[in-house]
Parts: sequence; structure tokens; C-alpha cells
Amino acid sequence: MIGANNSSIARTLIGLNTLVSGAALVIACIAFGTYDRTTSRAGAVRTLSVQAQIVGANSVSALVFNDPDTAGVTLSALNAAPSIVSAGIYSNDGHLFAGYQRDDTIETPRPRLMSSDATEVHRFENERITLVRRIVFQGRPVGSVAIQSDLQELNARQAQYVGMIATVLVASLIAAMLMSWLSQRAILTPIVQLAGVARAVSNGKDYSVRVPATTRGDEIGTLTHAFNDMLTQIQERDTSLHEAQHALETRVRDRTAELESVNKELEAFSYSVSHDLRAPLRHIAGFAGLLQDQAKATLDEQGHAHLRKIAQAAKRMGQLIDDLLAFSRIGRGHLTSRTVHLQDLVREAWLEVTSEQGVAGRVIEWQVAELPDVTGDPAMLRLVMVNLLSNAVKYTGPRPKARVEVGATRDVHGETVVFVRDNGVGFDMQYAHKLFGVFQRLHSSDDFEGTGIGLANVRRIVHRHGGRVWAEAETDRGATFYFSLPAKEHG
Amino acid sequence: MITSVQCILLAEDNANDVELTLAALRGNHVANEVVVVRDGAEALDYLYRRQRYADRPADNPGLILLDLKMPKVDGIEVLRQVKSDPGLKTIPVVMLTSSREEQDVVRTYDLGVNAYVVKPVVFGDFMDAVKVLGQFWVVVNIPPPA
Amino acid sequence: MLHPSAVRKGVTLRHLTLTAAFVLLGAVLHAQQAPPRDYDVKAAYLFNFGRFTTWPAAGAGGDGAVFGVCVLGRDPFGAALDAMVTGEMIDGKRVTVRRIARAQDTDSCRIVFVSASEDTQLTQILQSLVGSRILTVSDLPQFVERGGMIQFVSDGKKIRFTVNVPAATQAGLTLSSELLRVAAAVRANPKPGGA
Repeated sequence: MIGANNSSIARTLIGLNTLVSGAALVIACIAFGTYDRTTSRAGAVRTLSVQAQIVGANSVSALVFNDPDTAGVTLSALNAAPSIVSAGIYSNDGHLFAGYQRDDTIETPRPRLMSSDATEVHRFENERITLVRRIVFQGRPVGSVAIQSDLQELNARQAQYVGMIATVLVASLIAAMLMSWLSQRAILTPIVQLAGVARAVSNGKDYSVRVPATTRGDEIGTLTHAFNDMLTQIQERDTSLHEAQHALETRVRDRTAELESVNKELEAFSYSVSHDLRAPLRHIAGFAGLLQDQAKATLDEQGHAHLRKIAQAAKRMGQLIDDLLAFSRIGRGHLTSRTVHLQDLVREAWLEVTSEQGVAGRVIEWQVAELPDVTGDPAMLRLVMVNLLSNAVKYTGPRPKARVEVGATRDVHGETVVFVRDNGVGFDMQYAHKLFGVFQRLHSSDDFEGTGIGLANVRRIVHRHGGRVWAEAETDRGATFYFSLPAKEHG
Repeated sequence: MITSVQCILLAEDNANDVELTLAALRGNHVANEVVVVRDGAEALDYLYRRQRYADRPADNPGLILLDLKMPKVDGIEVLRQVKSDPGLKTIPVVMLTSSREEQDVVRTYDLGVNAYVVKPVVFGDFMDAVKVLGQFWVVVNIPPPA
Repeated sequence: MLHPSAVRKGVTLRHLTLTAAFVLLGAVLHAQQAPPRDYDVKAAYLFNFGRFTTWPAAGAGGDGAVFGVCVLGRDPFGAALDAMVTGEMIDGKRVTVRRIARAQDTDSCRIVFVSASEDTQLTQILQSLVGSRILTVSDLPQFVERGGMIQFVSDGKKIRFTVNVPAATQAGLTLSSELLRVAAAVRANPKPGGA
């Protein structure tokens, strides 16, 4: 079948059309049928009425002069009308004066006594019409005539009519369905096409398909054009998205390559630094030492002092170089992420600090609260604790009784804040922002040794863990250093 | 204490470092002959008795003090060759370098280095380190059979 | 009420006597349902003849104010005729009943019933009524042969009548065909040598 559309919308359209046509036809047929029935009935009554009038007029003298035979003759003329079943002429007192029957099986009608003011009444019952009319001669009633007609002819005609209607109805419906089916192509083919393309696009994600263009100026044409436009737009957007993605990826790749090369450069840099910077230092220190040994006798006190200073300076420079290298390594190194038992870690750090730093002869009160487990790089976190504890020990040096306290809090979000509190010399909060800078110090190295890299390292490590560092202190009243670690893993 | 006349091969390109190391070795009476080569190629020539060292005494050195950064052939390469040569691999090799880079440490140990010592800046520490080295490798340690 | 079918079934003397007795009894007990006397019927017919007849237009003397139904001679109707015509109108005029003794007294009569008592003078009566626009009715035998217009006849069961059309035409009267239809007999041709 050419252009057959099994789509549901085609069926809906055809069905709708058929329904509408059918409804219209049915209504029309009912209307016509009813009209026909009404008018034919009225016609039948009229006919009967006329017949009654004629019979009545012709029966006046028979009634007046009591001649039933003549009246019977008049009635018998009704034989000419095959639908008339029976008729009767009645005297004023209601008695049957003369009668007529179409055949012997039928009774003469027995009419109701008519009310005085009605000239004529008729009644439809039992497939018959009965009409009774008063016969009036010169203003005086002389009797009445009743005629009974059967509705056979009428009903036959009506049945004919209904049959015709039914035929017309069926034929029209079929015609309507046919025409609807033929014409739905014009409307529905583009819609079905559209639906098909839409489905293909959404299933296959292929935005290059298009609905065949149409020259129609109506809504379907608009739909087709709009649909194609939309697909074009999607395609373009897709393309530009892809391009953007590409560009982004390229940029990311480039950036990553850049970073990697920078990193490599840094590695090479620190590698060469660790080698090439140290060598001259070593030479300076070495030859100064040799000189001290060899010229022991010839050098005076000042000369020795100078040589000592040279050696110290070289040593210090070596420290600085080491610290700087360590600091840079912290930034580059890979950060592992493990569950770290802070309790153990802090204890180990304390041991390291107190063994290295020379706490002989000092009274240090050491307090560790219960510390939770955290997630992070154990080595790095250990470095943090070592730095902080080392500072605490260092800056409580002047105190006869040093107190170092370590504790931690955990808030609702799972963030852990660890603090190291000491009763050392503290610092002026005014310069707190300098605390964590590289080689920044708030005390002179004569008072407290160190390069000022420790806290910078701490900050770098903590930041790499996604946390924060800060400090509170009062000059000569001690200091508290805080760092936070987020709850979840941070790479 | 068994002291045997063994020579130490010192591979070091920097003259100052050579002088300092020799001073330290002398100062600590690590009583050995010290052969100094200025780069890795010379070191290998000596070890393989090639070129100018073709006539060196047959005994292998009892210790090789090797710097990492050297021109021509660097310490890693020398180490690799020494430790892969059946005739040479028994010679103890001590890296004496200023690099503390982990990758260097790892690489050298992978190649079979016997010890890795970082040259301290502080002269006193340097002297101590050399002393310890000498005492161990020359005096305490049983050298491999020749 | 006595049904005529009782008479039809078989007329014996005994039946007749019984019928008469019952008629009398019925007449006494159910006065309103008593079968009408012959002259009651004839009175009704007489009156109705007037309704089925068309009189010519009035002459110079006018139509008169009343429609007279006159009984010439001995009155056989009695009160029946008066009761019949009370309040009725024919031809737009009030119907009255008059009893007259002579043909000359027929002014304002439209219908004249010639009583049987005038049998011997019938010819003179009819002669004097020629051209007078009066409908002549009688139950005298041979009435229509002798020139009368409507004659009551009885076929034993019913009162019927015969009609003499030419006589009526001559008097200028038109008798309705309806009337002629129910007549027992109709004379259409003038009687040869008729009055």
C-alpha cells in the first residue's frame, strides 16, 4: 500500500474523521427520520380528517332522516383507501348508525364519547390511527364519524426509510474512512517522518540527519524547518563543544607538560644545587680548617677568630642550602594518603626532637592529650610535628620549667585541629603574618638558632594536605601553633 | 690490626676537593698510597690498566673513593662497570659525593655500591668522616682476596 | 328497552301483543327512552325538510319575519312539532308553528303540511298554492302524484318519503341532493297533465 501509515496518529485521524462523519450522518438521519415520521403521521391524520369530513358531510341527511343504508353506502366508498381498517357513523347519542369494515375480522371502532367542544380527535394506538369527527349540519351536531386506519403503509414506508438511511450511513462512513485514509498522507507523512527522524536522532545521537525539506507554508512546514534548524544548532553546539573540549584538553596537556618540564627543571636545579653549591662551601670550610691547623702557631687570637667565623658562615650556608632543598622537595614530592595514628607519630617526633636537640639539664613538662587518627602522608606529618615540637623546645629554652602541650579537636565536619602549646618567649602578634614565610624569623639567630625554614615547611605540608596553619601568642607568654587537617583524603 | 699496603683510588675532578680529601686522608694516617684520577675515563683506564696506566702494579686498589659528578665518564658509569666486571667487582666502592639526592643513593645501591657518604661542609665533620672511612675500610674490614 | 330485533326474529301475534305491552310499559316507566311515535318522527322530518330546501330570493313583498311551518287541517303532531321547532331557525328566520284551516291562510308559511283530513280538497288546495313558494308535505296517499312535493311513506319499519322534484321546481324551490338521496323514491319528470 502506497503511503500506508500504520502510525497511531494516522489511525487516530482516520478514526476521528469516521467518528465525526458518522456522528453527523447519524444526527442528520435521525433528524430526517423524525421529521419524516412526524410529517407522514400528520399527513395520515390529515387524510383521515378529510375523509371523515367528506363522509360526514355526505351522511348528514342519512343521519337526519334515519337512513343507515345510505350512510352505509357512503362509508363503503372508503374501501378505495386500502389503509382504512374500519369506519363508523354514530348518532348523537353515540350509537352506531352505520359501519364499515375492510374485512370481516375487524371490529367496528367504538369511539370514546367526545367532549362537547372538540370537533375532531385522533389517537395513535396499537398500530392504528383512530379519528373521530363530529358531524355538524347548519350549526347543529347530527352525529359523529369515526375512521380507523392502520399504519401499515406508514410503517412500511418508515422501514423503507430506515433501511435507506442505514445504507446511506454505512456507505458514507466507508467513503469517509476511505477519503480520510487517502488524505491523511498529506498531513501525516511529514509528521511521521519527523517522528522517525527525532527517534533516530535521540537513539543514535546522530545530529547530522535532517527531515526532508518541504515547501509547505503551514504549521507542518514550520515544524519541519524549525526541527532542522534545531538539529543544525545542536550540531554546531556539539561541534563547538567538542572543539572547546579539545582546546581544553590540549591546554591541559600543554600545561601539564609545562608543569612537568618545570618540575624537571626544578629537580635538575635542586640536583645541581645540592651538588654544585655545596662544593665551594666545602672548599671554603675545608681550607679554612686546614689553615687553622697549619697556621696554629703563627696566627694570633683574632686570626683564629676570623677563621672560626669563616667556618661558621660556611656551615650556616650549608644549612640554608639543605633547608631550601628540603623545602623544595616537599613541594614536589608525592604525597601518600594513609591513616596516621597521631598519638604514635607525636611520640616518635618528641623522641626525635629531644634526642637531637639536646635537652639535657632541662626541665620540660610534656603533655599529650588523646589524639585522633588522621588521613595523610606519615613522613610529611612527622616532619610537621618535629618542626613544631622542636620550635616549642627551642623557644622555651629560657624558661626554668618548660611546658609543651599537644592536643587536638575534631569538629562536626570531621576536620581535625592539632595544636602545640608552649610557655616559651612567644612573639608579637603584630608580626604573625610573617611567621610562616620562608627564612622569616621573628627572633635573631643569636638568640635562637635556626634558619626560619621550619614553619615554612609546616605550612607547605599542611597546605598540601588541604589544611590551614595559624598561630596565637603573646610576647613572653608563650605561643600556640595550630594546624588543621580535613576529614577526607586530600591528594 | 692488619695493615696491608693497599692503594686507594680516588676519583675526583675538583682540585680543591682532591686537596682536602688528601689532607684528610693524610691527617688521619690512612697509610696508603692514593692514586688520584680526575675523571671516570681515567678511573676506568687505571682499573683496566689501559693507556697510561698499562704498567701499573697488578694489585687492584683496596678501596675506590668515587665522586658522582665527573667529566667524560661519571661515577655511576664507573660504578656500573666495576660492579659488573668479575675481576673488579670485589673492590669496595664508596661514593664520596656532595649530592644527597635520593635518586643518586638509590641508583648507586642498585648498582651495588658498598657505601654512600656525603661530604660534609663543616671541615671538622669531613675530617671525622674520612677518618671513620679509613679506619673501617682499610683497618677493620677484611679486604677481598686479591 | 325493547329492541327492534325482537320483532325481526319472528312476528307472531303473541309477540306483537307482548311488544305492544312492553312498549306501553316502557313508555310509562322510561318516558324519555320510549320509541318515537310516527308523528314525532314526521315532525322532525317536516322540520328538517326545511333545512334541506332552498327558497328563492324574496319578492317585492319581502320574506317575512318568520319561517312558518303550518299544519293545514286536523293537527296530527300535537306538541311534538312545537317542541321540535322551539328556538330553531331556518334560513335566518325564527321557526314557528301555525295551524290553519284554509289554504288562503298560508301567508308566512314556508312549509305546509296537508293533514289527512283535507283529502277531498287536496286538488283545490294544491291549485291555490301553485306559485306560492311553499313546500307542500303530506302523508296522504298519492300526494306526489296529485302534485304534492314530499310525501311521507312507511315501509312498515321506518318513516320514509318520496319527493316530487318538478313540483318543487315549479314552486321555485330547490331540494338538496342530499335530501333526494335518502328519499325512498324521487319523481324527476313532471306528471303528464299534472296540476
